[in-house]
Amino acid sequence: MSTDQEGSPATGTAPSGVKRREFLKVLGVGTAATTMLGCASEKVERLIPYLVSPDQTVPGVSTYYATTCRECSVACGLIAETRDGRTIKLEGNPDHPVNRGALCARGQAALQGLYNPDRYRGPMVRRNGQLQSTTWDDALQIFAQKLGETRTRGAAGAVFVNQHESGSFPGFLDTWLGGLGMPAHLSYDAGADHAAIAANRQSYGVAWPRFDFRAARLVVSIGADFLDSWGAMVPQQLDFADARADHARAPRLIYVGPRRSLTGLNADQWIDCRPGSEMSVVRMLGGQLTPQQASQATGVAAVILEGFAREFAATKPSMVLAGGGGADGLEVVLAANALNQAQGNVGVTIKPNEGYLGFDRMAAPAELRALAERMNSGGVSLLMVRGANPAFTLPKSAGFAAAMAKVPFKVSFSSYPDDTSEIADLILPDHHSLEQWGDAEPVRGTISLQQPTMDPVFDTRATSDVLIAVAKKDPAGAARYPMADYRSWLISHFPGGAAGLASSLPRGIASGSLGEPTTARPVPAVRAATPIEQSSGNMYLVVYSHPFIGDGRGANKPWLQEIPDPVTKICWQTVAEMNPATAEKMGLANGDLVTVQTSAGSLTLPVLRYPGTQRDTVAIATGRGHTHAGRYAKSGFNPLEILPVAEDHAGGVAFVSTKASVSKAGGYSQIVTTEGSARQHGRGIGQAIAIADLRAGRPGEDTGASHVAEVAQGAGTEAPAGEHAPGEEMPGDASHQFLPGLRSPVANDAQGEQGDPNSKEKGMYDPNHWSGMAKRRWAMTVDLARCTGCAACVSACYAENNIPTVGADWQTGKVLPDRTGFGANILRSREMAWIRIERYYEGGEDGGADFDTRFVPMMCQHCGNAPCEPVCPVYATYHSPDGLNVQVYNRCVGTRYCSNNCPYKVRYFNWFGYGEPARPQYAFPEPLNWQLNPDVTVRGKGVMEKCSFCVQRIREAENRATAEKRMLKPDEFTTACAAGCPSRAIVFGDAADENWTVTQLAKDARAYHVFEELNTYTAVVYLKKVNHPTPAAAGPA
Amino acid sequence: MATLSQPIPARDEPRRPNIASADIQLPAVRDFEQVDREIVGTLHPTVAWFIGLGIAVMFLLIGIAAWMYQIYSGLGVAGYNPPVMWGVYIITFVFWVGIGHAGTLISAILYLFRAGFRTTIYRCAEAMTVFAVMTAGLFPILHLGRPWKFFWLIPYPNWRYIWPQFKSPLVWDVFAILTYLTISSTFLYIGLIPDIAVLRDRENISPIRKRIFSVLSLGWRNTDNEWRHFARAYLFLAAFSTPLVLSVHSVVSFDFAMALTPGWHTTIFPPYFVAGAIFSGIGMVFTIIIPLRKFFGLRHYVTINHLDAAAKLCLFTSLVVGCAYMTEWFVAWFSGNEFEQSFFANRIWGQWWWASAILYTCNMVLPLSLFSQRLRRNPAWLFIISFTVNIGMWFERFVIVVPSLSHEFEPWQWTSYRPTWVDYAILCGSFGWFSMWFLLFIKQLPVIAISEVKEILPPRLRTHHAHGMTPSGEHFDFEPETPGEHD
Repeated sequence: MSTDQEGSPATGTAPSGVKRREFLKVLGVGTAATTMLGCASEKVERLIPYLVSPDQTVPGVSTYYATTCRECSVACGLIAETRDGRTIKLEGNPDHPVNRGALCARGQAALQGLYNPDRYRGPMVRRNGQLQSTTWDDALQIFAQKLGETRTRGAAGAVFVNQHESGSFPGFLDTWLGGLGMPAHLSYDAGADHAAIAANRQSYGVAWPRFDFRAARLVVSIGADFLDSWGAMVPQQLDFADARADHARAPRLIYVGPRRSLTGLNADQWIDCRPGSEMSVVRMLGGQLTPQQASQATGVAAVILEGFAREFAATKPSMVLAGGGGADGLEVVLAANALNQAQGNVGVTIKPNEGYLGFDRMAAPAELRALAERMNSGGVSLLMVRGANPAFTLPKSAGFAAAMAKVPFKVSFSSYPDDTSEIADLILPDHHSLEQWGDAEPVRGTISLQQPTMDPVFDTRATSDVLIAVAKKDPAGAARYPMADYRSWLISHFPGGAAGLASSLPRGIASGSLGEPTTARPVPAVRAATPIEQSSGNMYLVVYSHPFIGDGRGANKPWLQEIPDPVTKICWQTVAEMNPATAEKMGLANGDLVTVQTSAGSLTLPVLRYPGTQRDTVAIATGRGHTHAGRYAKSGFNPLEILPVAEDHAGGVAFVSTKASVSKAGGYSQIVTTEGSARQHGRGIGQAIAIADLRAGRPGEDTGASHVAEVAQGAGTEAPAGEHAPGEEMPGDASHQFLPGLRSPVANDAQGEQGDPNSKEKGMYDPNHWSGMAKRRWAMTVDLARCTGCAACVSACYAENNIPTVGADWQTGKVLPDRTGFGANILRSREMAWIRIERYYEGGEDGGADFDTRFVPMMCQHCGNAPCEPVCPVYATYHSPDGLNVQVYNRCVGTRYCSNNCPYKVRYFNWFGYGEPARPQYAFPEPLNWQLNPDVTVRGKGVMEKCSFCVQRIREAENRATAEKRMLKPDEFTTACAAGCPSRAIVFGDAADENWTVTQLAKDARAYHVFEELNTYTAVVYLKKVNHPTPAAAGPA
Repeated sequence: MATLSQPIPARDEPRRPNIASADIQLPAVRDFEQVDREIVGTLHPTVAWFIGLGIAVMFLLIGIAAWMYQIYSGLGVAGYNPPVMWGVYIITFVFWVGIGHAGTLISAILYLFRAGFRTTIYRCAEAMTVFAVMTAGLFPILHLGRPWKFFWLIPYPNWRYIWPQFKSPLVWDVFAILTYLTISSTFLYIGLIPDIAVLRDRENISPIRKRIFSVLSLGWRNTDNEWRHFARAYLFLAAFSTPLVLSVHSVVSFDFAMALTPGWHTTIFPPYFVAGAIFSGIGMVFTIIIPLRKFFGLRHYVTINHLDAAAKLCLFTSLVVGCAYMTEWFVAWFSGNEFEQSFFANRIWGQWWWASAILYTCNMVLPLSLFSQRLRRNPAWLFIISFTVNIGMWFERFVIVVPSLSHEFEPWQWTSYRPTWVDYAILCGSFGWFSMWFLLFIKQLPVIAISEVKEILPPRLRTHHAHGMTPSGEHFDFEPETPGEHD
């Protein structure tokens, strides 16, 4: 209906001339009607897919649901923020006993699973060799019929493989299978350390004890990457960071292994043993080998091992954590656990009673490999897979995919296309975990509830409901399953029933247990590896799990592809990591292609010189190189293609089991990395202080991180400790003027009434303005002694601030002649991460093992005297009264001068229209755009953007306080990065108010500003990393 | 048909000061009529000219197409590699502004200094200035993320009460460039008025053209009064333009000098930029005038002596910029500023060594050859040098812009830079744009100032040339009194 028609009666009554006011009225009504009608033509019921009744939903106001993260086996608690019926942000549940409010990058990225553009839209069935869409009725009919056929032919031929999870669903599933006479399901988690689980059960009686880092004086990690994805990552990181934050009692961390993982980079010392020689180190610690003998086996200098053994013997209580991965993984972990027992650590630092239950009842990969053999011989007539992707996560030489093709009928419950579901005959897509009911039991006696946070995005159904629906199709099943759906089943099993569930849902946790007592699965028959030394090749092959993408689960989530690996800083790419010295010897520069050849096959991929690789080792991450896992998952290579089948004695895949011949392949591929220089060049960005200096109150700098002004005088990078007496200030040192109030010295000058310092009209810059804005100074502290560099903050920022990912190959603009596929925009440093983790090495320039790593989260420093502000010709960036350096996207014309003048290089430019759906560079293909935070603008083409200190959260909190007629409470809210940080390294608040934590932290003796000699008066205060150097006698230091 | 000559001023009247000294006289130019005939004769379009114009327009169209593509797609199609947020466009902007400087220097400063050799080349240089500034002015707009919002940099009244940030050197740029464009085009036009009158008074001129020239010549009648006012106005504008030569490029250098960036944050930039600008401008003058004098048959106007004198200026400015380069190194070392030192080390030995090598070779080493008089008086060599000077000066700006941004405070963000075809296409387009205007100019207006050339003719020939002319009006061969030469 047009405006004219709407307006015609009015104009008709007054043909002699419409009065201006009337005309405007009519125009307004007509336009409003048009707009309303325009809205009505849309499907309104899809706009806000109500889950709660509409009267509880206020448009524009968030609803929060407590639920459980199912991205790995641990089951952390989530608070899902839902706006207008769509889940837009995940936070950790502060009440949850496991993650205590923190959330890792993989957890944040669960949203990109929920809104993944490649998700199955509905059930599919294979007809004439092609997967075709079908209806649920049809699909369930087919499924029921196939179940019936299988039962008549022998129900033992049916196999159900489930993505491992804890809680009541596994029991429910087994009961369901049992009702049909089918064997219990295989609960599979390719990312879990099966050797450690089996050994822990043997030594401690639980699959995964709690590691109390605070009680330990020395932590020895033997390939146990407890900060990456080994075990219960988030709680381990929380405990570890807490332990390290107590500087005086902090444990030293020694990492033993052929590759420095993130855990290894956080270690104070790295024992770079040869792959497969970990056992010698454990035996040396146990006194069964002399350091000299161990030195021969491991290739580590005897003097270092000697010191290590001495320190270990002398330090109690300690903690030895060992990870499987090698062919003798089970034995190594058992021996390490025995060391703990001998040292009296069990119960002191290792607490089996507080263990995590997420790893119980897990099937070993050997069972899946055995399944592949069974399928090959025709012993399986019906294969059902839910969540797991064994076709990708088992070594290719296990032949799972080929064997699976021989199964007469394969059913996949996967929500997403993956390498396994692509072979399936019937796809009954499951709800995402954020769309369905469920529960988990992460620690004994606590139920972590999982509830739908929004209506399903697509026409999917919860597998549990599907199982019930199918069971109802025959009378016996209908008798067993009288309930309508899984939720009713859950209520009937829940302590307290419906009322109990309803009262527990708001917190997301309940005490009690839904699961059955855990039973260890029998260890399957394993195919033991030949000793690594007997395989042929010039280097050891180490295959490790990617910290974000893991076994491949995260590969189709653009955040996880784009956020650089915390260790290598590689995005979108698979590389072969080699020690720089070895690479030099072989004449390999970064990006040179090498062929890695094993008995199982060969891969050609680019070399990355990574100093954290043992000299005889080539390391490759898993997770990339999918064939069918969606548009974002096409990059990279899968090292499992060249890993021969070899299992440790617990049935886990032996990822370090073979040598490989590495040879130069000729050719070159640029390295997709965000790293510019990995060295600080003495610029003091990531500073550290030795624990002895800290104790003594000396301002001594640790190696290399000395103040720039001092460095410039001499060629060396070492400033002698105690050169300046404490409290003495260098001329031009801004910190003493800055820290006490964190007030911007230039705010009035810069932004008062036309910059006139004598003007009385300062508007909101007047401290007496009713808003009180000018009394505040938003600031942040980053404790480098806590930060592990895990990049959870980065993913939280992507989620909160609608940051586009730019690395997909179609986002580069196809006419660029230098198009190199995935990551081409990253090659041009065009990543948009408002917060990045810089990873600097100190020492070890010769490729040696003795180097220190500094992780520096770098975001807009919100300078009080910001270099970016005066150079912007159009006031697109200016200083807000409360100390924020504000970027006005609408005002920006894109001169990019602000970025040129920013010493911290934290401004990011929209080179393409990442937010425009019609463009190839569009970063949020439907329905990924449903995740966008409505409080934050999606930035247009040609404007600058940067960290805003989550200004939308600041204003929301202020508005809330104003509405409630009160002042802001200290620590009332925080930024997305600080909220998610599993190390609690980031603290945000009002530094002008003594009651905020940030104000107290900024007074710490370790506080410093990056580049403070530039007089930028930054609002971000870094607290120096605390180094725990190797005791003098223990090594060459 | 020959126009009336400029009258000899009376003794006490102000005298235009470009009195020809012995070495810049034009011995082969015998009388005013010859001046009119030969210079006006260059205005006839030729096939070669049409081909040249076609090529220029084609380059321009390539540039326009690339720009349209860039506006549509976003700046990402250019080779930016953050934190190298400025690249070819800003380099080319500074390059063209620099080119523009020689024109005003030659037409205004040398006029005030009474350097007579400017007479025959100044028109060409001044036109070059105007067109170069017109070209340069495009680039700040072209490099914007949202070029359609460029007018926000201009302080115009608006209901939001938002003015530009006057602390930003980019706003100063707007004023500097617009001022310079206004003044230099005014200066060019004022100088052209008597010459336009010459063109207007030609026979066989089309009425439309005559009408246009009549308007443009502002009714110039060659009266004594007009000449007196003209001389005054010209002198005034010369004096007015002179500070601009120094200020405009100083302001452009503030774009860099006002920033914190190592390699930019230095007080030497204003004089260094001005010297570099003049250096590059003279290079461009050679690039233009040497082919022009050949193809237009004007070698007896722009004599070897003139080129020699301009080459000395080129050599001098080369020495000045060379000194500036060495001062930069010294200051980096002497300051003890680690960032600055690291940047200079990277500039010379690091990833950008090749760009620095081009810069130092072209700007410091090759111009030293101009110490040789033989080479100074060799137009072919000067033409080659002019090219290397222009290349060197483009790379000077490259070395200032790119290595500084790619090697800043934050080592984690050190990067590289590689332009894409869009950058190159727009760079070519800028040459097309400039050449198009210049080619149109040389066929519409005299490329050598007719009136000023007449002023430096030997006094003997000013009033009467009976001795040089046969009764039938034919000239006979003229034996120069002053040793100059034809080449």
